[in-house]
Amino acid sequence: MSASIETKPAAAQGSARMLVAAGIWVLLLLVPLWLPALGGYTDLATRALIYAIAASGLNLVLGYTGGLSFGHAAYFGLGAYGAGLCLIYIAPSLPLAILAGTVLGGIAGILVGPMAMKRKGIYFAMITIAFGQMFYFIAVRWNALTGGEDGLTGFSRVPLHLGGHAIHMGPVRFYYLVLALFAVVMLVLWQILRSPLGHSFVAVRENTTRLRFLGVAVDKQIWVAFAISTFITALAGALNALLTGFASPDNLGWQLSGSFVVICVLGGMRSYWGPFLGAIIFIVAQDYLSSVTQNWMSFIGLIFVLAVLFFPQGLLGFIKGRARS
Amino acid sequence: MVFKNTASLNRRGLLKAGAAASASSLILPEVSWAQSESPVKIGNIDPRTGTYAALGENQIRGATMAVDEINKKGGILGRPVQLLVEDSQGLPGPAVSKAQKMVSQDKVDFLMGSVNSAVSASLAQFSSQHNLLYIDTGGHADPITGKNCTWNTFRTCSTTWLETAADFDLLYQKFGKKWFFITPDYAFGHSLHDDYVAQLTKAGGVSLGNALAPLGTTDFSSYLIQARAAKPDVLICLQAGDDLVNVLKQAVQFGMNTQMTIAGAQQELEVLEALPPAARLGWWTFEWYWNQPGVPHLEEFVAAHKAKYNGKVPTARTWFGYASAHAIALAANQAKSLDALKVVRALEGLVLPPEVALQPGKCYYRAEDHQMIANMFPGNVPNGATYPNLFNVAQTVPSGTIAKSPAEAGCKLVYPS
Repeated sequence: MSASIETKPAAAQGSARMLVAAGIWVLLLLVPLWLPALGGYTDLATRALIYAIAASGLNLVLGYTGGLSFGHAAYFGLGAYGAGLCLIYIAPSLPLAILAGTVLGGIAGILVGPMAMKRKGIYFAMITIAFGQMFYFIAVRWNALTGGEDGLTGFSRVPLHLGGHAIHMGPVRFYYLVLALFAVVMLVLWQILRSPLGHSFVAVRENTTRLRFLGVAVDKQIWVAFAISTFITALAGALNALLTGFASPDNLGWQLSGSFVVICVLGGMRSYWGPFLGAIIFIVAQDYLSSVTQNWMSFIGLIFVLAVLFFPQGLLGFIKGRARS
Repeated sequence: MVFKNTASLNRRGLLKAGAAASASSLILPEVSWAQSESPVKIGNIDPRTGTYAALGENQIRGATMAVDEINKKGGILGRPVQLLVEDSQGLPGPAVSKAQKMVSQDKVDFLMGSVNSAVSASLAQFSSQHNLLYIDTGGHADPITGKNCTWNTFRTCSTTWLETAADFDLLYQKFGKKWFFITPDYAFGHSLHDDYVAQLTKAGGVSLGNALAPLGTTDFSSYLIQARAAKPDVLICLQAGDDLVNVLKQAVQFGMNTQMTIAGAQQELEVLEALPPAARLGWWTFEWYWNQPGVPHLEEFVAAHKAKYNGKVPTARTWFGYASAHAIALAANQAKSLDALKVVRALEGLVLPPEVALQPGKCYYRAEDHQMIANMFPGNVPNGATYPNLFNVAQTVPSGTIAKSPAEAGCKLVYPS
């Protein structure tokens, strides 16, 4: 399977891709206009974008570097707690809260990375789960700081101060803030993936042994990929805390980690837009199905099973395969 | 399985005006709503999946029955009432997502629901940010009507403090002053333990020890051996769910139920029903019970519930949902408005009429902290108990005599100007 990033596209293919990307961005910019007409609401789109950011971060490790991280919710949750604690204890500032959450989760990722990177395959997966659960139990037990299993409440989206103007963050404005950060994340990922660093991540996935023979410090590459990915996932967590107005231990739990993996697999782990597509499907399906039936989780599971059976490259991989043939 | 999502008015049917008119005239024989009448919407967020699904389902049933009755009696301000139900999974994240959906998409007028405190706290915060009345039906943590109380949040179930205060006197006077505790090692367990110990020390009793068992403990033998060695009069087990099943079963295997009194704080009919017969024992507190001889309207309510839900009896959770939905309608009709602040003012001090209260005495939302003051029902599980006679009420304790005052609870309400 050639990942989109590796193929040297012909000029025609390249312009088609530009067109698709431009279409996606236009649709995203106009969400508050068309989504309510389809029976959706702006916060739903915001949540889908936040999950897209988190899953895109995870996908740097999962899809591009080939590391099965099943504990990424830990960094999402740390981002959420970081943002909340910053708003409560440090300063009521939106940018500072987002920064605090991102840095908290990212630093945890930098620290966990060296311990996880030495393990391969299933052991890597296990150790990432273990670290995830460790952070989960810290959040549950450290009552005085985190509010225990009741979660951290008592903060809200404070207005954004720009050049002396206080901009109140209603649902639509917050959506655009999240969209802007999503764009930044996608741009950063794009730059990384087309750089030598990004190519080395893919090389780690494709042939670790050969890379070692070539004298590349494979462990370090994994560490770097892991660290970048946790920063991005933590950013999503911080935004999620601002969206819901609280952080809770289930932001750190293994179920959420599992959801992120499902999102990546559903959309397509080898595709740049895969996690984005997966997040939209997952969030919309969850929102709609859980209102219709209490067995909605069975349907999400069914969608996942069908996706793995029939679109092992994810939905986007399947579409691309069809387009190519 | 499709949700029985609404009460008498089907949600999707309502969107199609014609269908709505025929549906409502079928189900509501006494009042026929004009086709143009848009419904007043109550958003009910309760767990339908996850650990608390059984409890959530009963709260939904109670609210559904209430909305049916409200519609038969003329609705709210002459408009039909529609109950929208969403699944919180018992988690604050999904609960707030559902609240966002209900506010922006369904445009609900009021919010109610929740079984556990984490969800209640997040919904209370959410609804105060959105100027919405919220009734916490079943989340017990003290701060919700205590130090974190808000002008727009009311609570129908009791507080954590009431859960222990209700049966303390009974246990202390009946069984003795030497107590031993087996406490689940997390915040909620600790606060129950601390509340009991505070009352025990004040009364002159003594705590012989407190064994902290992690959540999810399956083998309680070491804790039970510790407890037996201490020779207490009363063994307090503060576990819930599967942990409670395990500790009770093993206590029976150890024969401890014959050596001391096994007791605890609040207990639910749903939990006792799920327990294996061997573990159905002990002294606990109920917050409402279906069998209270001599209470007016109760028999009709129980009969109506049995007819509607396969012969099942209503539980405390059913009553929470029932009373909360009725309270919203009563207050809105009294305020002659759907405005959150006006309805809040009408709810403050609102006394539930006997057909809603379904228990003796005066049941009302205290104006100073928005806490429902009703009754607590300490008692025991009789030997060889079978559904639905799983509990034997020993006393009916008016909550007003044991509740912390609003000042003690630390509540100061701040209203929007």
